[in-house]
Amino acid sequence: MNKKPEKKDILGLLARLALGGVFIYAGLMKALSPAEEFGYAIESYKVINAQLSLWSAYLAPWIELYAGLLLAAGVFTRFNTLFTGAMLVFFEIMLAQAWFRGLAITSCGCFGSGKGNSISLEFTQNLVFLALAWAAHKYGSAYSADKAVAKP
Amino acid sequence: MTDRKNARLLALAGMIIFISTIAVLLARQFNIGPERPSPAFRTFGPVTAPVQIYEYTDFACPACRHAAAKIDEMIRIYGPGLRVSFKHYPLMNIHPWSMHAAAYADCAGEQGKFKEYGELLFEGQEKWAQAKEQPGEFEEYAVKLKLDWQKIQACANSPETLKTLKLDMSEGDMKGVNATPTFFINGKRAVGSGQLVDQARKFDNLLRAAKP
Repeated sequence: MNKKPEKKDILGLLARLALGGVFIYAGLMKALSPAEEFGYAIESYKVINAQLSLWSAYLAPWIELYAGLLLAAGVFTRFNTLFTGAMLVFFEIMLAQAWFRGLAITSCGCFGSGKGNSISLEFTQNLVFLALAWAAHKYGSAYSADKAVAKP
Repeated sequence: MTDRKNARLLALAGMIIFISTIAVLLARQFNIGPERPSPAFRTFGPVTAPVQIYEYTDFACPACRHAAAKIDEMIRIYGPGLRVSFKHYPLMNIHPWSMHAAAYADCAGEQGKFKEYGELLFEGQEKWAQAKEQPGEFEEYAVKLKLDWQKIQACANSPETLKTLKLDMSEGDMKGVNATPTFFINGKRAVGSGQLVDQARKFDNLLRAAKP
């Protein structure tokens, strides 16, 4: 007989799908735009030089896309939620240092070329995503590929 | 058991990564994805036009000169049915001054004369395109159009102008543009004015429906 789904399992699944969706969208928007565009956005944080910003812009969209897809499918869920969580913490640090230094960030580069929100709004938005990462880490293993392949 | 489970998950992860990579690369080639708008001075026709053309052009390329005449004719014939946005794609390996020409044209555009300056560049193409030293024609055209040449020079040397040009070029690279003029007519690729006319004919009903 099938077990009735528990509320926390549904919550975990929804958190995984939502966060995975956000990463897929962010990665896709950037992967389908010229890397230079995202490179300029990274450069405006004044942490790394232009060359490194460009290399990061080539790499980051693919990492976001793969992480999002694996998270949504529930492949290595616990590792993936930690990984996406770590990325979000890194983004928060970047935003916070720009905020404190009063840098003029016209586009945060979060979702491609579109004009971004203010730094404070992006920072708050990332906190919500971090909460989703936590929920996905704690309860996200139900209805996942991890569970499906574990079945004999 | 754990080893087998991990192997299965690794295979699944590999498959997801492989398929998504191929899908994104194909989407780039087929021009699926957000289109970066051109600056307003490089765009002609109403936003609501049913047929949208993006042209990757190089002021030093003879085929682009012919295509410019064709595009002008189409704008005259189809009017509100058509919106044309120009993107720069200077082929610097064969045209040493085309990047300069693109920058000066954009800066003339800042002063409201992109089209006029572009027309002069195409007209005088043979004089400046293969010049050994900085051609005097760039200044000559600016003076002819009563533009502020000092301002144009400052603008052409600014990082912002360079950034705009580089973004156009890398967007073209990403879409597999390797010849000029390359057009995207409602997303469909056409290279050269012959293919442009052929592709545009496919949208004839839309173009005619929008006629005033």
